[in-house]
Amino acid sequence: MVMFADAINTAVIGKGLMVGLGFIGPAIGIGIIGGNYLKAVGRNPEAAKFFGQALVFVAIVELFGLLAFASTFIVK
Amino acid sequence: MQLLTRFAETGPGIHVAPAGAFHLGGFVVTNSILYGWVCGLAISALMVWVARRVTVRPQGGVVQVIEAGAEFISGLVEGAFDDRKRGRKYVPFFVTVFFFILLNNWFGLIPGVGEAFRRGDNPLLRPFTADLNGTFAIGIVTMLFVYGASIKESGGLGKYFKHFFIGSPLNPLYLVIGLLEMLTDLTRVFSLSLRLFLNVTIGEIVIAVFSYLGHIAAPLTALPFTLIELFIGALQAYIFTVLSLMYLAIAVNHAGEHADHPGPADERLLTTEPTPGTMKPSNRASTA
Repeated sequence: MVMFADAINTAVIGKGLMVGLGFIGPAIGIGIIGGNYLKAVGRNPEAAKFFGQALVFVAIVELFGLLAFASTFIVK
Repeated sequence: MQLLTRFAETGPGIHVAPAGAFHLGGFVVTNSILYGWVCGLAISALMVWVARRVTVRPQGGVVQVIEAGAEFISGLVEGAFDDRKRGRKYVPFFVTVFFFILLNNWFGLIPGVGEAFRRGDNPLLRPFTADLNGTFAIGIVTMLFVYGASIKESGGLGKYFKHFFIGSPLNPLYLVIGLLEMLTDLTRVFSLSLRLFLNVTIGEIVIAVFSYLGHIAAPLTALPFTLIELFIGALQAYIFTVLSLMYLAIAVNHAGEHADHPGPADERLLTTEPTPGTMKPSNRASTA
């Protein structure tokens, strides 16, 4: 049991949790943005021209996931 | 079993930070600066070549593609401002930013840039936008331009700062809101440059990981991710341009609004004016 505990590198677990948990939020957010965009287009096909603006909001949401990824590099 | 240990022992070569390539008069020239110079020269040469070849009749090829991109961005810039004539002044800057970022992203995907050529322990070339210093420089230049243009459009430094406080900085609520707004404004440099840097760097890492996993068939496994990165590079260039354009357009349109309707902004927001010509005659008729 003690040997097993020695063999675990907790930094790897930490990095995995950081990336995994950090990307949950942006994934949900991008799903909501895409779903609402398609809902708007379904109700009103004229709204299809706002795809570029939807992508801008995707970029804003995505940044937070990328920040979680970037902070894995400070874990030793 | 040996396969598994091989994966566990040696990973793909991943570099997040740029590394020094050589020294030039006391300064360390990193691999990203070196490739940034190469790309800058190549982009300038390409753009000058294209600018001399543009004709009224479309002729196809690279010229057509770049013309379409420039027209797309100039339409975007002009449409963002209330006054199209005012927007025309800012078209050259945003088209330059768009093509600089786009072509730097795409030149970074050329096979050979990255891990292929090494000098000592570090790769010789590194995409300019995969370096935080590079994207930070682009962000600082863009935001300085945006601040300068919005100060000029609102007519002086004092009037520019007054916009943050919704008219009067003496109201304590507006003071807090204004200070928070100014803080948010300063973080825009970081958010712009970090987004570009992280997207490009993560693309580089994904390509490196999949070409490592592919082993002999590396070109085959890395190809789909390179194609995705082509799309993401274009998307990030578009997003950088649109976001910095929005920051400028909000300030400029706001300044124009104030010039049209002088007076405290909060009063205009609270009172709902009836549209002239439809409501007023009927009101008068009812009172009379």
